[in-house]
Amino acid sequence: MSNIKPEDNISELLKSDLNKGFRLVVEKYSSRLYWHIRRLVILHEDADDALQNTFINAWKSIGDFRNESSLYTWLYTIATNEALSLIKKRKKNAAMSLDDLGSHFTNSPEGSTWFDGDEAHIKLQNAILKLPEKQRIVFNLKYYDEMTYKEMSRILKTSVGALKASYHHAVKKIEIIILGD
Amino acid sequence: MMQKLNKLPDATPFKVPEGYFEEVNRKIISVTSGNDHVVRKAGLYYRLRPFLQSAAAVTGFILISYTGIKLLTNNRINLQETEAVFEDYSVQFIDDIDIYSLEEDAASLFASEEGSYLNNTDIIDYLLLENIEISDIYEQL
Repeated sequence: MSNIKPEDNISELLKSDLNKGFRLVVEKYSSRLYWHIRRLVILHEDADDALQNTFINAWKSIGDFRNESSLYTWLYTIATNEALSLIKKRKKNAAMSLDDLGSHFTNSPEGSTWFDGDEAHIKLQNAILKLPEKQRIVFNLKYYDEMTYKEMSRILKTSVGALKASYHHAVKKIEIIILGD
Repeated sequence: MMQKLNKLPDATPFKVPEGYFEEVNRKIISVTSGNDHVVRKAGLYYRLRPFLQSAAAVTGFILISYTGIKLLTNNRINLQETEAVFEDYSVQFIDDIDIYSLEEDAASLFASEEGSYLNNTDIIDYLLLENIEISDIYEQL
């Protein structure tokens, strides 16, 4: 699809050719951002919407970014905000609540089509969904994305200590939920 | 604690449609690349732009104010002129009405109403002109 060389430097490209540089940003980060969003919003259609909005919002102010490391955390911040605003919208609509993920995946054709997990996966996802919002994000970033607390601290604008405590509580709650089932 | 969690799956259990990422990347790029988002160097225009905008705003305000005042003044003059002309015309019109000629006109109106009455002969003539049989005409009369 792309004729951009992998060794191309994003920061340099953004300076010299914004369109080409942004194209590289999309190709490099879309997958990672998608999975981050998807784990928060669960449904593919929602994740797809949030991902596109993330890049459209990023494009609007991409000119301000010249440093690749800050670009990475900045994109994660936009993606997280997009996912959270989508969850808030969904909470207002009780019919779209995903409190019981297991029943959603077994009853909904959409859910079953884009879910590839077994019973253990469903149990874990149900437990994650029961966590408070911030703990969910921290758990997902640490457990699935294997992000460092330092990186997380930049994205969530929270201290490393608070993030460690948040992850600790999240793990404890998940254990209780799963063992209690 | 982590050992217990380690027994749980660490892979994301979600799937995406085949070719999704190529498709969504293409979609995002097509949406964004069409927009004019070129990084411009600050030329003379960009440096002077704030001053030009202020100057344009002031000029616009002066023009609008001048036009408004001008229109308002003209309207007042026109209104006064119209009122004067209308007054003159009304007086002249009332003076010109001749009561006798008015009566004559009215009388002619009543006269024409009376004159519009048709007798049988007129009706027969009209119906004959319309090629209606004479026997049928007499039947109706």
